[in-house]
Amino acid sequence: MRRSLSRTHVAGLALAFVAGGCRPSTNRAPEAPPPARRVVSLAPSITELLFALGAGAQLVGRTTYCAYPPAALAVPGVGDGLNPNVEAIAARTPDLVVLYRSPHTETAARQLGSLGIATLVVHHDRLEDIATTARQLGQATGHADAGSAIARQIDSALAAPPRPGPHARVAHVVWDNPPIVIGGGSYLDQLTHLAGAGNVFHDIATPSATVSIETIAARDPDWIAVLRETADPSPPDYAQRPEWRVVRAVREGRFLFLPAELFGQPSARAPEAVAYLRRVLDRFPLPPPAPQ
Amino acid sequence: MRWLALVAAVLAAFIAAIVLGPAHLPPSELLRSPIVWDLRLPRALLAVLVGGSLGVAGASLQSLVRNPLADPFLLGLSGGAGLGAVLAIALHLGGPWALPLAAFLGALVALGLVFRLGLVGGAELDPRILLLGGVAVGAFTGAITTAIVSLAEASELRNAYLWLWGGLSNASWATVRLIALYVPIPLFLLLTAARPLDLLVLGDESARYLGVEVGGTKRRVYLAASLLTAAAVSVSGVIGFVGLIVPHLGRGLLGTRHRALLPASFLIGGTLLALADTLARVAVAPREVPVGIVTALLGVPLFVLLLRRWSAA
Repeated sequence: MRRSLSRTHVAGLALAFVAGGCRPSTNRAPEAPPPARRVVSLAPSITELLFALGAGAQLVGRTTYCAYPPAALAVPGVGDGLNPNVEAIAARTPDLVVLYRSPHTETAARQLGSLGIATLVVHHDRLEDIATTARQLGQATGHADAGSAIARQIDSALAAPPRPGPHARVAHVVWDNPPIVIGGGSYLDQLTHLAGAGNVFHDIATPSATVSIETIAARDPDWIAVLRETADPSPPDYAQRPEWRVVRAVREGRFLFLPAELFGQPSARAPEAVAYLRRVLDRFPLPPPAPQ
Repeated sequence: MRWLALVAAVLAAFIAAIVLGPAHLPPSELLRSPIVWDLRLPRALLAVLVGGSLGVAGASLQSLVRNPLADPFLLGLSGGAGLGAVLAIALHLGGPWALPLAAFLGALVALGLVFRLGLVGGAELDPRILLLGGVAVGAFTGAITTAIVSLAEASELRNAYLWLWGGLSNASWATVRLIALYVPIPLFLLLTAARPLDLLVLGDESARYLGVEVGGTKRRVYLAASLLTAAAVSVSGVIGFVGLIVPHLGRGLLGTRHRALLPASFLIGGTLLALADTLARVAVAPREVPVGIVTALLGVPLFVLLLRRWSAA
């Protein structure tokens, strides 16, 4: 339908967004190019942000992991986004492809560029990245005001004064064997901090890291936060394993189940996620309940 | 003296693995802390058992195929084990034992295939066919594994990564019990084959003249070494390099007689893996690196040093 129209935009957009990146915030376009009408998103957080901007109708391709908002499921999938299939993406005749920065996607971005398709490579590990991308995507898709509004919301959430203590100490365990935890480089670390709690692995600068169970036991978190797809309140399987029961929070069954839909990716709903985490933590105030 | 030094080394590595760790424990608490009893102790024991098993399997297989490059994983076992583990992950098989069991079964299937190939030239397991068959089966299973991994969901890949690169984070008393009960059987089988192995190294014909039942000995050694490796893979994934380098260290220290070489390889393998795992846990604490990286970083310089000394001598 829009296919023939979109092709006319391709050439003009070609170089405007290449090698964008989110840090530092730059807007290199010398003149504002016409808004992209056919956008392919190669990360769930980008898809969610496009819908939040009001650009959902312009989305013509998404990854297999893009499940939020539910309307995204109606958009055709173009692969897993981690190893972009350039042909499948080009077949959607996009005039803008938004990629998550990695060696694989940067190669794909170059290939798309040589096909005359504009690309925007973004980096979404921290909440401030979402604010930057919201502005960039807002401008690129003709929703600049919505982009600025989202960026302001995130900025003000980040600038909120810290909650007075005592602070619950949380470990986000995303995998059990080998144990992988969330470090200070992740938006989950920020969400935890903004909710008035602390991430016991804040000192690890990367978004996630492999650690030993011993390290988790020694850091002795009050809570183990676990992302869940469903509302299932039962502890994870590893909670029964003797080696994990060395960790006090595991032994005492102190798990915080966070809905993956809200916490699984950095998003414009960060203030909502912070409020959710606050509510959960307030429901079980410190000092912790007696061991079971 | 040399035996004393080997035993002292494995004890020192074992004690270091228990005393050192990312958690700071005052000496007075060492014997009371669950971190020591439930985490460090089973992990140190597993490191010694797995490292020792890989060392013995490597020494036996190098003699069996008369090739100093042979390594327990060269014969296709790692590919089979990796495929088993990745299949279990992709099929969402639950339970704590599903993955080790699937890795073990995968290794057994690869073993069976290579063994069957080895029999092609007659009942006496031609070393060249064993090696080529092992590499071919390894490449084939590796291709299937990579296909599954690249099509599976991202979050599931992390566990596959552990199986393909090795690590002892799975250690618990249950895994130690399992390995401690299982490993003595193939170890005993290999030790009883020590004398025939000495003769096999001279060549099939010579061994036969000296009274070795060549076909039976080869089958027994191949199966016992492979079962040992399969068990090691099932609890710790593919930990490279130990099985390759340890037998050479053993030969350098104690000569080529298998009655000494096999136990020495067990002690050296156990020492190397216990040390490597301690480093993997402590060196970049609070983070942890895959132990296979450390075995290579630790083993290669040592190996090069010894190679230079031996070739100079």
